[in-house]
Amino acid sequence: MTDYLLQTTWIIPFYGLLGAILTLPWSLGIIRKTGPKPAAYLNILLTAIAFIHGSLIFNLIWTKPTQQLVFPWLTVADLNLTLAIELSPVSVGALELVTGISLLVQIYALGYMEKDWSLARFFGLMGFFEAALGGIALSDSLLLTYGLLELLTLSTYLLVGFWYAQPLVVTAARDAFLTKRVGDIILLMGLVALSAYGAGLNFSQLERWANTSPVEPLTAALIGLSLIAGPTGKCAQFPFNLWLDEAMEGPNPAGIMRNSIVVSAGAYVLVKLQPIFTLSPVSSDTLIVLGIVTAIGTSLMAIAQIDIKRALSHSTSAYLGLVFIAVGLGQVDIAFLLLFVHGIAKALLFMSAGSVILTTSNQNVTEMGGLWSRMPATTTAFVVGGAGLFAFMPMGVFWTFQRWFNGSWDVDWWLLAVVLFVNTLSALNITRLFRLVFLGEPQMKTRRAPEVAWPMAFPMVALTIVALIAPTAPIQWPFWLSPTTPLNLGEESIIQLATPLIALSGFVGIVIGATIKLDKAWARPTQMIWRFFQDLFAYDFYIERLYELTVVAGVAFLAKLTSWFDRYVVDGVVNLVSLATIFSGNALKYNVSGQSQFYILTILLGVSLLLWSVLNGQWSIVTNYWSSLLN
Amino acid sequence: MLSALILVPLLGAALMGFLPQKEPKTIARSVALAMAVSVLVVNIVLGFQFDPTVVGFQFAENIPWIEWIGLNYHLGIDGLSLPLIFLNSLLTVIAIFSSSKSIERPRLYYSMLLLLSAGAAGAFLAQDLLLFFLFYELEIIPLYILIAIWGGKRRGYAAMKFLLYTAFSGILVLASFLGLVWLTGASSFDYEFLRTQTLALDSQLLLLAPLLVGIFIKIPIFPFHTWLPDAHVEASTPISVLLAGVLLKLGTYALLRFAVGLFLEGWVVLAPWMAILAGISALYGASCAIAQKDMKKVVAYSSIAHMAYILLAASATTRLSITAAVFQMVSHGLISALLFLLVGVVYAKTGTRDVDSLRGLLNPEKGLPVTGGLMILGVMASSGLPGMVGFISEFLVFRGSFPIFPIPTLLCLVGTGLTAVYFLLVINKVFFGRLTESLSQLPRVRWIEHVPAFALMTLIITFGIQPSWVVHWSEVQAVALLTGG
Repeated sequence: MTDYLLQTTWIIPFYGLLGAILTLPWSLGIIRKTGPKPAAYLNILLTAIAFIHGSLIFNLIWTKPTQQLVFPWLTVADLNLTLAIELSPVSVGALELVTGISLLVQIYALGYMEKDWSLARFFGLMGFFEAALGGIALSDSLLLTYGLLELLTLSTYLLVGFWYAQPLVVTAARDAFLTKRVGDIILLMGLVALSAYGAGLNFSQLERWANTSPVEPLTAALIGLSLIAGPTGKCAQFPFNLWLDEAMEGPNPAGIMRNSIVVSAGAYVLVKLQPIFTLSPVSSDTLIVLGIVTAIGTSLMAIAQIDIKRALSHSTSAYLGLVFIAVGLGQVDIAFLLLFVHGIAKALLFMSAGSVILTTSNQNVTEMGGLWSRMPATTTAFVVGGAGLFAFMPMGVFWTFQRWFNGSWDVDWWLLAVVLFVNTLSALNITRLFRLVFLGEPQMKTRRAPEVAWPMAFPMVALTIVALIAPTAPIQWPFWLSPTTPLNLGEESIIQLATPLIALSGFVGIVIGATIKLDKAWARPTQMIWRFFQDLFAYDFYIERLYELTVVAGVAFLAKLTSWFDRYVVDGVVNLVSLATIFSGNALKYNVSGQSQFYILTILLGVSLLLWSVLNGQWSIVTNYWSSLLN
Repeated sequence: MLSALILVPLLGAALMGFLPQKEPKTIARSVALAMAVSVLVVNIVLGFQFDPTVVGFQFAENIPWIEWIGLNYHLGIDGLSLPLIFLNSLLTVIAIFSSSKSIERPRLYYSMLLLLSAGAAGAFLAQDLLLFFLFYELEIIPLYILIAIWGGKRRGYAAMKFLLYTAFSGILVLASFLGLVWLTGASSFDYEFLRTQTLALDSQLLLLAPLLVGIFIKIPIFPFHTWLPDAHVEASTPISVLLAGVLLKLGTYALLRFAVGLFLEGWVVLAPWMAILAGISALYGASCAIAQKDMKKVVAYSSIAHMAYILLAASATTRLSITAAVFQMVSHGLISALLFLLVGVVYAKTGTRDVDSLRGLLNPEKGLPVTGGLMILGVMASSGLPGMVGFISEFLVFRGSFPIFPIPTLLCLVGTGLTAVYFLLVINKVFFGRLTESLSQLPRVRWIEHVPAFALMTLIITFGIQPSWVVHWSEVQAVALLTGG
């Protein structure tokens, strides 16, 4: 019975897909009488079933060793492609996280999207989204994971582009797709290369393959770099970080998923690929450098944003930067923990932000204020989510950082510096947002702001409770998330003061955030230097402008150039030749109207010329000539 | 049995002439459809009887025709041709189905369409070099007429350009065939017999050169491609479907069957250059597609880019890559046919294909939402999204070619990346955004008009999830092609 139930694990992601397919009659307009609501209920029901099914499996798998289910897919010539899924507490736990958050988000969306006329399409896309994410959580094959990452790219494109009539949405959807696609294609290059070098494409096979040190250092470095590119796009890391910020134009429920689960899916893949990165120091170094650059850069960007969603989404990139560093250092345990606590805290913050946005019809924090007494549940959610995001209070991220620096891991001073920096700025950012949105005097748009209705309040409160108890999970079962054990367990702490320092940094961030002057109308600083930095951060270091001037302009120029070349050079020669033919053989001119005689004449002439040369023995002259040239 | 695949459409084409002129226009269409469907049925039956584990030709028919030249009516079918024959009969049905019911001169139109189908089927079936050439040429005439009479504004120019190019291609192919027979001293043009003959390397190269140029014109490969965008733009939708889906495949089929099959040694010598050419062609097609304003031209240039992958796979000459080449032909046939169909729907309803004057067509009330949704899926299939046939066929091409030619493979992979760029630009401009005033009175698309697109989409997804259903037909024969079995 147990085994039988375990065998059914692969079905769980398909619930989401089934839900997506079932919404088609409503989204295609075949069923109009009922309105789009039944499609939404169906999806929520199926997600709930997926969650329950997952819980059953999770209970069964708890004490068991890791198992694999392997499905043969395609055998061609010497290539054998199999798809595999992994049954372990980690993979099923990740699946539970996906379906759990998806369930809450879908209930939330019921309220948030209530008045949208394409509700059925939205839920269909969410189902598809959930299916791809759930698949990634279970997948034990790089090929399957790659496929699902691409489906994720597609569904992100469609979800960001959900309100396709708005101009900003159009560019946001395009940029999200193309940025991720660049990463995906480079990942595909790595995949093809790995397969060609004889590695099986299941993660366990890849690990075995990596242990035999099979390739040259340069090749190993290139493969490593190409594999990093995919997750870099998914996790919105520099230089592929801008799409996440732009994607905030899409509906907020999808934004919750994106900022908590989707980015984590990218990092999850990275963790799975970690054995390959050990082949070459270049790839792990790249991971660390990318992580540091993103963590520092996006932390700075976040504090200058005035759009509540954008301020939070930049902070997502920053935390994922820390995950990149952890994977680069080989500290997979920490990476998982960070993903887990960040995912929950960020989902909660985005739910709270969504409630604020729906109630006030506004995303600009400088036009808000005084919401705390009007929206208690939303305020609580923001406080709990915020407290879980930076290390000051003993919640969420605090315990992860504490674990990271308690001496179990080989860590350096520079890492502590980065963490302190990110933590301070994160605390500053959250405090700043909290003051702007919830404290102070109500402004025009926040004066009449009732608390959100139950479909939004219920998931928010539920997740608040989860966020409050979640940090106890990793402490209680310290190793359930760790496929690798810490390096130097039991030794003295390397950096004795690390934990107090981190808590202090959180406090400093709060103090700065609480004391800086926040002018409601967002007055521009008078000093040039502050003005410069504010613009620099607010416009994301002008990276977008830089891309426009380099990559985008380059491709556009190349396209114009080839098109010109095609039209005037390649085709020009052709037209010139045909012009010459017209003048030499007058027949053509009078045969443009569609007569086939000319055509037959051409063929006949050609054939008879050839036949004549063959029969006359002239052919040998030609062949001999060419043969002599070739020799 | 095989002759039926050629004779039934020929019979249909001839029958058109005897249909009374006064009858309603739809009678020609019904007859044509009946003929095409019966060919498809014969094909399905053949598919069930075909044994994919056997090397060589099955269901062979051999009738001496003009013995003093060495021409035999020799037909046969193997793993290389079966998927293509199938594609041909399927797309013929779809082309007839999606032809306008009020078309001018329906009897001539449908008879030409059937003739085209018969020509293509004959070329795929022919086991005699001269017979292949005859069919290869035969299919040009109806296509020329179809473009020249039912085409767009510049149809005269486009049709003539197509004619000159392909006629030239035919002459080169014929020259190579004649040379082969002459140099080997063979008494017939029989394919299997000629495969057993051996030639010195320099004579192989000498014969291969004209053959390749002829084939490259047909596929088409840069720099012999300029007839294709013009032909596509001027041709009506059903003709574009057939042109992209079937007729281009004659080129790649000839590449595998004759260039690789008859001149393997010579081909291997040229292969590194061919792989680079494939890389260039893929990037060139993709790059041109980005700059196009006409939706049909975008799809046409994308065809050039995607057909180049087949050249890459053929150059690599591994067992995997040759199988993948056949698969890629099927995959490209299905996907490009779908895209041309959908562009055709947009054109029929809005009267334009210009990306700058179309906007917001996804609008659920007044726009073309279902067409838009299918189009998004179609371009995703084309840009190699997993779960659809484009991904696995391209993956196999790249995986098969990478060990032999890593750099050209990477170039082609970049081309795949660019596919998403140009198609997304089109989707964003045409389907996203706010529907413009001038487009708010579009005629509705009836569900029946979407039947062909849904049918193709179903196949694209099915074969994407179950690629072995296509691959297993051609695997054995692809290996035999390389080992001389």
